[in-house]
Amino acid sequence: MDAEFMRVAYMIVVLSIYVNIGVSLYAALAKPNLVKKIIALTILGDSVNTFIILAGYKLWRPGLILQPPVLTTFSPSSEALKQFIERSVDPIPQALVLTAIVINLAVTVFLATIALHMYRHFGTVNMDEVGRVKRRAIREEMV
Amino acid sequence: MLRSIAFAITLVVFIVLLAYATAVGALGPLPPPHLRRLAVCVLNTTYNPALLRLGFSADAPEGVTAVVWDYRGLDTVFETVVLYGAIIGTLALYRQVLKSEERRESHSSERAEALRGGLSTVVKVATAVIVIAIGAVGAATGLHGQLTPGGGFQAGSILAVIPVVLLVVFSRDFLIRSGVRYARMVLLRNVGLIGIGLTALGLAVVATLIGVRGFVLQNQPHDGSPIGYPKWVLDVPSGGSLLFFNVFEMLAVVAGFTIVFLVLSLREDAAREEIRGEERGC
Repeated sequence: MDAEFMRVAYMIVVLSIYVNIGVSLYAALAKPNLVKKIIALTILGDSVNTFIILAGYKLWRPGLILQPPVLTTFSPSSEALKQFIERSVDPIPQALVLTAIVINLAVTVFLATIALHMYRHFGTVNMDEVGRVKRRAIREEMV
Repeated sequence: MLRSIAFAITLVVFIVLLAYATAVGALGPLPPPHLRRLAVCVLNTTYNPALLRLGFSADAPEGVTAVVWDYRGLDTVFETVVLYGAIIGTLALYRQVLKSEERRESHSSERAEALRGGLSTVVKVATAVIVIAIGAVGAATGLHGQLTPGGGFQAGSILAVIPVVLLVVFSRDFLIRSGVRYARMVLLRNVGLIGIGLTALGLAVVATLIGVRGFVLQNQPHDGSPIGYPKWVLDVPSGGSLLFFNVFEMLAVVAGFTIVFLVLSLREDAAREEIRGEERGC
């Protein structure tokens, strides 16, 4: 296991996340079913979050101690703090993703309720069909 | 057919462009060989007794919680606003029917009768035990958010599993008979949100009253302001304002989600009552 192998593995994961993002965007745009659109949006959100978390990690190199960054005492010495920083990954993407997850969840909850409402209203969650029904209604009104 | 081909081509171009941009280093070296300077700065000041004396530390052992509620607290306050915007949007659709339905349910049946519905006794007993465990995990996640990975939102999400499990295993009727009502949940949510607001404004108000400088969303004393939230609670670091934020966020999130689950589990014909008379579109 060397650093170059790790970099290639990392890039493969990044590429697969890009494919995931592309496919979920396709599903969210092209699939007429509202439930499928919502599922695609959650996959999109999760893929992006995974990518951001991944961008916060750092390249393993020989000599880097793979231990969790944990302070074992409430009054750490400066040496312990140095070790802590040495072992840590970037905390900022993680905090960013925490916010993104909450927003994603809020949007999903809202969309699920709207989809339920539309189902009760039109009897279907297929957007093509909803469009057809609406068009017919508008045409009838005009006549 | 043409549409599918167009979509397929767009998809491939999109992925190739993203991959190319990453390969030529548009996002910087990936994965970065060292921590970014901002990350080192944050990790260095998150919990550092030496820097705390100089007024440069958030004094919270958990870095991510410190970033979320201290370094960029305003961002998180607005995140909470978005979350409650979505929940209020959900409620706006079904609030009336939710209230009237609740009134009907709480009058129509006795508690013992409500207990009779739902899944089998084995599942019910197991659930009763598990619910206590979920509550303990949720509370620990929220109250230890400044020490270990966790925090208010995560704790609220864990605790919100309880009403879902009760809804499925017992019944909606049982949940409402047990006192999980719309008005109470709204009250709990408001307590949480007001608590977050007061914690955010607390030091600024106190500072104004005693005539020193203080800032909105301030946590520990620093260069411009001599006052701060208490550093310890009992024998563990409290993270200053982080503990308060976590607890209030936990209350707000669990109450908000419970209301949403009550809305989503409305009786179908009662829910349809709400949209009766609306333009049907056909």
